[in-house]
Amino acid sequence: MEILNSIIGSLAWIATNIFGEAFILVGIIVLLGLLLQQKPINVLVGGTIKAMIGFLIIGAGAGIIVSALLIFQPMWQEVFNLPQQDLGSFIGQDSFINKYGSIVTISMAGGFLINILLAKFTKFKYIYLTGHMMFWTTMIFAGIMVNTTPDIEGWKLILVLSIFMGIYWTLQPALVQPFLRKIMDGDSIALGHTSASVALLGALFGKILGNKEKDSEHIKLPEKLEFLRDSNIVTACTMGLLFLIGAVILSFKNTEGAKTLIAQAGNVSFYIYAVKQSFIFAGGITVVLLGVRMFIGEIVPAFNGIAEKLVKGARPALDCPVVFPYAPNAVILGFLGSFIGAIFWLLVLGNVAGYIFVPTMIVLFFHSATAGVFGNSTGGIRGAIIAGFITSTVVAIGQYLTVTFLITNTIPDTAMWAADSDMFILGPIIKLITQLIS
Amino acid sequence: MNVLTVCGLGMGTSLILKMNVENILKENNVNAKVEHLDVSTAKSTNADLIVTSNELVKNLEGHKAQIIVIKNFFDKEEILKALKDKKII
Repeated sequence: MEILNSIIGSLAWIATNIFGEAFILVGIIVLLGLLLQQKPINVLVGGTIKAMIGFLIIGAGAGIIVSALLIFQPMWQEVFNLPQQDLGSFIGQDSFINKYGSIVTISMAGGFLINILLAKFTKFKYIYLTGHMMFWTTMIFAGIMVNTTPDIEGWKLILVLSIFMGIYWTLQPALVQPFLRKIMDGDSIALGHTSASVALLGALFGKILGNKEKDSEHIKLPEKLEFLRDSNIVTACTMGLLFLIGAVILSFKNTEGAKTLIAQAGNVSFYIYAVKQSFIFAGGITVVLLGVRMFIGEIVPAFNGIAEKLVKGARPALDCPVVFPYAPNAVILGFLGSFIGAIFWLLVLGNVAGYIFVPTMIVLFFHSATAGVFGNSTGGIRGAIIAGFITSTVVAIGQYLTVTFLITNTIPDTAMWAADSDMFILGPIIKLITQLIS
Repeated sequence: MNVLTVCGLGMGTSLILKMNVENILKENNVNAKVEHLDVSTAKSTNADLIVTSNELVKNLEGHKAQIIVIKNFFDKEEILKALKDKKII
């Protein structure tokens, strides 16, 4: 019993500190790859550190983006007079992670092992490396399982989650790869991200409804406007406009909420404050791309090393920003499409279902940006925008159904900001499996 | 010797090119440091040699480095020949 406890304790430590800290997982993968290629010590140290720093830069950039979005979101919530959410009684993220945290992290480790085995012995040679999504997806699915059967045994949770996640992490990249190959003009990298479903839908609807000839990256600008070719500038202009419109509307409202938000700007004019946030958003994207460049630059060659030695011909399945540089304009178009869709669904769900949709800009941005790139690849500008709208549809309806029916008593609070496309679509299947084994 | 492999975005084809160029130079005992970059950053980065594709050559006009144009980044034969032509190997 003692030994078993120690083993479980060690596994939990590993899962929390290595898989929970994605940048360490990344460093280990790169180091392993470099070792297998018998690189000299300076390359081992340099390559590993550069990959980890690049990865953390991505997080830092995402943090910058999120900080601006956290101004954006309350602003538009106030514009639409959205009240505080009343969700009834539920366990909540804090308590849930105290009770089920180890189970979640052990399941992640189990899933990763199954992923490696499947990659080694089947034709689906993909290794999922997006650590933070591994964590959140397993967490949300655990929340659904416990919600379905509150007294479910721990070993059942670990068994089901490990197998399900292992299969998902192996197959999801495989489903996306046919489209990704064309976007990146190569086959060495795969997509490992929960935006896969909307990316596929985006590519599908792009083919049906879009116009591939009008590629978003070919948007021709008059010579004088060449500076707009820089995606930093386009992002700043688009977001600047959206922030400014929101600020103007708020300035005409006399509600308490509006006054509180405007007061956040301090001595500075609220309009200037709003524009500054939009530029911070654009800056955040630049930082993300820098991090991606550094990180990808190390992980692809290092991964070649692991792949060649352990699992012949496996591809790393990576976080969604890997596709952003291939169609930066499509990123913005996708987000625009999802922003419009989010407002549309906000109004519809509020009026028809009595549910206040929380348009989490974080999920909406990263997923619609990815979907936009895929939508553009098959359907040009129109495809990118439609892909964005589809993303917001999946996220809005998915959030409504998941929070209301699947995760109601456990962690609906987490589901409202961290749950996303693939989780919403696969959630009902998890619930079904739980009912079958209970 | 400082070598830059350059493409539009700095992480796609330039990275594949970097891996291939690095391997070929190592196999032929040429001592070089190879970095992959996007064309914007490359413009202001010092190097002895730049390996890139045809459509980006104009963007790099005025750069002090020797420029080698490669058509197929995955073709090791083509890269080897181009490096030999420029007396790098």
